[in-house]
Amino acid sequence: MASSDETPGQMPPGDGSVPPGKPMTVGQHIIDKGAQMTQSLKPIKQMSQHVCTFASYSHDMTRQIETHHYVSRRNQDFLQCDVYDSDDPNGRPIGVEYITSDMIFETLGPKEQKLWHSHGYEITSGLWVNPRVPEMIQKPELRDLARSCGKFWCTWQVDRGDRLPFGAPALMMSPQGVNVGMVDLVKKMNDNYRILSEELKISRIDIAIPEMTNSYADYWMQTGKGFAIDIEKTYMHTISGDMAPPALRRSIEGTIVATHQTKRHSA
Amino acid sequence: MEGVNVSTHPEIPGEPTQTGTAILEKATATIQGFGPVNKIHQHLCAFHFYGHDMTRQVEAHHFCGHLNEEFRQCLIYDRPDDDGRLIGLEYIVSEQLFLTLPDEEKKFWHSHEFEVKSGVLFMPGVPGPIQRQDLEKVAKTYGKVIHFWQVDKGDNLPLGIPQVMMALTRDGQLYENLAKDVENRFNISFEEEKENRAHINGPDHGIHPLANAAGKGLRTVLREVDCFKEGKST
Repeated sequence: MASSDETPGQMPPGDGSVPPGKPMTVGQHIIDKGAQMTQSLKPIKQMSQHVCTFASYSHDMTRQIETHHYVSRRNQDFLQCDVYDSDDPNGRPIGVEYITSDMIFETLGPKEQKLWHSHGYEITSGLWVNPRVPEMIQKPELRDLARSCGKFWCTWQVDRGDRLPFGAPALMMSPQGVNVGMVDLVKKMNDNYRILSEELKISRIDIAIPEMTNSYADYWMQTGKGFAIDIEKTYMHTISGDMAPPALRRSIEGTIVATHQTKRHSA
Repeated sequence: MEGVNVSTHPEIPGEPTQTGTAILEKATATIQGFGPVNKIHQHLCAFHFYGHDMTRQVEAHHFCGHLNEEFRQCLIYDRPDDDGRLIGLEYIVSEQLFLTLPDEEKKFWHSHEFEVKSGVLFMPGVPGPIQRQDLEKVAKTYGKVIHFWQVDKGDNLPLGIPQVMMALTRDGQLYENLAKDVENRFNISFEEEKENRAHINGPDHGIHPLANAAGKGLRTVLREVDCFKEGKST
């Protein structure tokens, strides 16, 4: 029905804005402000870092994008990021990345590891930037993060011209030494933040990248292979009974379905 | 069997955050700009189920912001507190925008009319009359939800591949224990809200027949491909 590596159908008509749609009304602003005053929005307030870096599509590594991660830390070994295509207030939400330490990453099986990428290269090469934070302050964190791995799903392929989030989520990978064609992207980012990745690279020369033995991160580097996601039609497992033949039901779920049916009838 | 489908909050492996790290991140939080995230103004609570399995239902806390009048983004957490896991994303569009989607795309989006009218979709802490002003709009919208972390399975990390999720579309789908749990914690009554929302209407053109996966199941599948060429591998 849809695949992350296939071009979507026709774009919505209109003025080409991404996304399309009328500007916010005053009424909506008032409603939003009202909600904001009465609600605590705690998980959002946990976001403590903005990281600007780059990523490529696992199914097409020639497509590279600048990404803006808004990061919240859950513990010393795990972070979760809300990812946008820009740091502008009108930035589009394009996906989610999870970051885990090398220690936790090594507990994952090969099948899972293949979906992850390492961060050592993008940090030590100066591609990963924390805008406005002096390098000296950021260094200890970068030392830690250079040992981490990430899993990044992109749900809106804005770079290919999608005006709305079409299709299936796409797996993303990180820049590594062999990525070509990012020169323009990096220059644009450098100009925007008035920094030089080359200088950051020199100042980060003492950051170590771990040697991960038996790691399946950055799977494409060893194999030339990436991954796409397909969304397919299937049978819907329902509460009142499957639309599929009984043979397709798992016996455990069959018990749960039966028990819930009993509870419903007796309520 | 009550426990099987109550939302779990598995412990993420790893050490507690070190003091030095916490201090550093307090500093970065103050120094840096959070432009797009500052637009997130609203907390909505609702339920999602897996696109291929309605028996797996998840309490979903949406933190939403508008990109324009017709388009919202929501970050989905399993809990609305400091410790919430970021489990998914939802995009919400107006009926007008939904109708411009290609037909194949429409199937991945779900309607919101039932959730709003039944009271199960609500804005914690916001007085009813104010909520309803926004919910009158939400009832006409469509959403596309992807979850990345199957907390209901007890996964303590976001394992596996993304899942297309769907939303409630009629009575009898939502597990009573999940509903009661939310009603108790947030001190609300879905029945009462349902009465207060009787005047709210769904999409002007009715719920599109292709929405809600046109009544079918949807699942995601991983496929290995050549990463430097377009097209499928053999």
